[in-house]
Amino acid sequence: MLLLAGPGVLFILVTLLLPLLAIFMFSFWRTASYELYPDWNLDNYHVLFTEAAYRTFLLRSALSAVVTSLLCLLYAWPVAYFIARHGGRYRLLLVLLLAAPFFTGVILRIAALQGIFGPGGLINMALGIFGMPPIAALMYTPLAATIGHVYLFVPFMVTAIYLSLVNFNFDLLETAKINGAGPWRAFVEVTWPLNWIGTAIGLALVFIPCLASAVTPRFLGGPSATSFGMSLGQQFGETGTWALGSAMGVVLFAFSLLVLAVMGFTVNLKRSGFTGMGAR
Amino acid sequence: MTKADDRPASLSLQSVSKHFGPVKAVDGIDLDIGQDEFFSLLGPSGSGKTTMLRIIAGLERPTAGRVLVRGQDVTAMPPYKRRIGMVFQNFLLFPHKTVAENIVFPLRMQNVGRAERGERLVWAMKLLRLDGLAERYPNELSGGQQQRVSLARGLISRPALLLLDEPLANLDRELRAEMEVEIRRYQKELNIPFVYVTHNQEEALTMSDRIAVMRNGVFEQIGPRNDVYRKPATAFVAAFVGQSNQLTGRAEMVGPDSLTMTWRGHRLHLPHPDGIAAGDEVRFFIKYEDVEVTPERPAQGNHLGGRLRDIIFKGQTANYIVSLADGSEIIASASSRDQKVAIGAAVSVTWPATAGMCFKS
Repeated sequence: MLLLAGPGVLFILVTLLLPLLAIFMFSFWRTASYELYPDWNLDNYHVLFTEAAYRTFLLRSALSAVVTSLLCLLYAWPVAYFIARHGGRYRLLLVLLLAAPFFTGVILRIAALQGIFGPGGLINMALGIFGMPPIAALMYTPLAATIGHVYLFVPFMVTAIYLSLVNFNFDLLETAKINGAGPWRAFVEVTWPLNWIGTAIGLALVFIPCLASAVTPRFLGGPSATSFGMSLGQQFGETGTWALGSAMGVVLFAFSLLVLAVMGFTVNLKRSGFTGMGAR
Repeated sequence: MTKADDRPASLSLQSVSKHFGPVKAVDGIDLDIGQDEFFSLLGPSGSGKTTMLRIIAGLERPTAGRVLVRGQDVTAMPPYKRRIGMVFQNFLLFPHKTVAENIVFPLRMQNVGRAERGERLVWAMKLLRLDGLAERYPNELSGGQQQRVSLARGLISRPALLLLDEPLANLDRELRAEMEVEIRRYQKELNIPFVYVTHNQEEALTMSDRIAVMRNGVFEQIGPRNDVYRKPATAFVAAFVGQSNQLTGRAEMVGPDSLTMTWRGHRLHLPHPDGIAAGDEVRFFIKYEDVEVTPERPAQGNHLGGRLRDIIFKGQTANYIVSLADGSEIIASASSRDQKVAIGAAVSVTWPATAGMCFKS
């Protein structure tokens, strides 16, 4: 038993708990001239909670994460539903196709979006050919960053919902209809609650990386889209303020945990239709 | 079953067909079912009986024909407007809802008030003996309990019709026998017509007032259960309903109401149906219980000499397997109590000349 659990425990210890502990510790230290000094203080948190810029970054990132999650949700449900219900023997292929852009790497995918949205990009160039002005809203704006996020993260959402739906017994929908539920009512009463866990996992898979996102807003967002993640990255890079960066990491981690906890409260295992998860 | 002519049938099918490409799953069915009827669709798998049920429920649109419920044409009506109850083989309870929530689901969909929902729930739980299970979830119930919840959900809104699709197929034998009696009791008490689909002839015979035997999308026979059992209309029905010995031979002398058939060198006297002429090949079906095994050769009727090979004990009855001289076997069913002959003994199998049914093959 212990032998079997060992590797897992070691992995969690080395990759999760130790770094987390280190970050937590550093967040109470002080950096000067690119060096960390272990004099314990709360200055970093004081800075984070009083300086308007950091609040703005965090709120902006949170808002962007919420909007991105909701857009992904709206887009992914019909797609996943269609594949699960009507994909037939091409189901797996269709899901893999959705994941295909992953094979090229994040930077390339963002660069591609830049190539489409930018001033000399596909859209604006095409508009120019027809003598129309370029769409400014797509050039280095928060909107462009959000579209980039949706594009990057929607496959996670589709996959999570799809995996939930392939285990969903669609016969239950017929039962609901015979018992007097119209299509919309049947969705609300049966399909949605029985696939909520999968949907919540999808939301978490989109929300959390989006909250910490740094690269996408930097490439697509322009000056008014500086995100919490970008700023965090700068603390460890250009400015060399590791202690402040660590405090930002702790805040990000706490925020993500909070969101997960809120989602966790919405899940009632007994009412999820799940069996074999210890809930009886 | 006779119906009062002044009120419309609870369910009418008028030349209903359903084609899946070149396959005629249901092929021009006409059917009327009365208010007080327990009606069974009996047939092997692939005979079209489930497709027919799904057409009645509205889950399948017929290729041609009309479906009427209480005189109203519902052919184009979606299932959720038809007010028909349905019970499935695999129960299909909502796993995220409690027993009580499952049962009142149809009432909630019909926007029945909370107070009335409560009353009806109590009534349904009592009828189906589900007391104390209201707050359980479906995965906390036994198969039999799940099926009763499913029945309660089907019955609580007092539908115009209850459809049952092999509801007992997933239950063990003992429970099945108990539920057969129960289900028939609900039908008689509530006076709601039941349409019951099964491939199990025992279930159909136990519960039904009328039975339709279905094959390849058409009715082979439709009638009271006694007729289907005693007077099969086709060789298929004769083979499918009840347990019969099947003897195939050639008709020799054909009289007004009897014929003589040669079967493996034996001359048998059989009842004569219309349409058989001398020289025709004939399939003769005689039910196990119509055959008797005796130690001595009887004075009259058909008799074949053989040896009692084995006795298959069935409880109330036993099957007596008799091997004839040429190796073929005839089976007789009788009370298991008075076993007059011992295994291995020389016996006669015998049946009256009027028993059994002949069909031209």
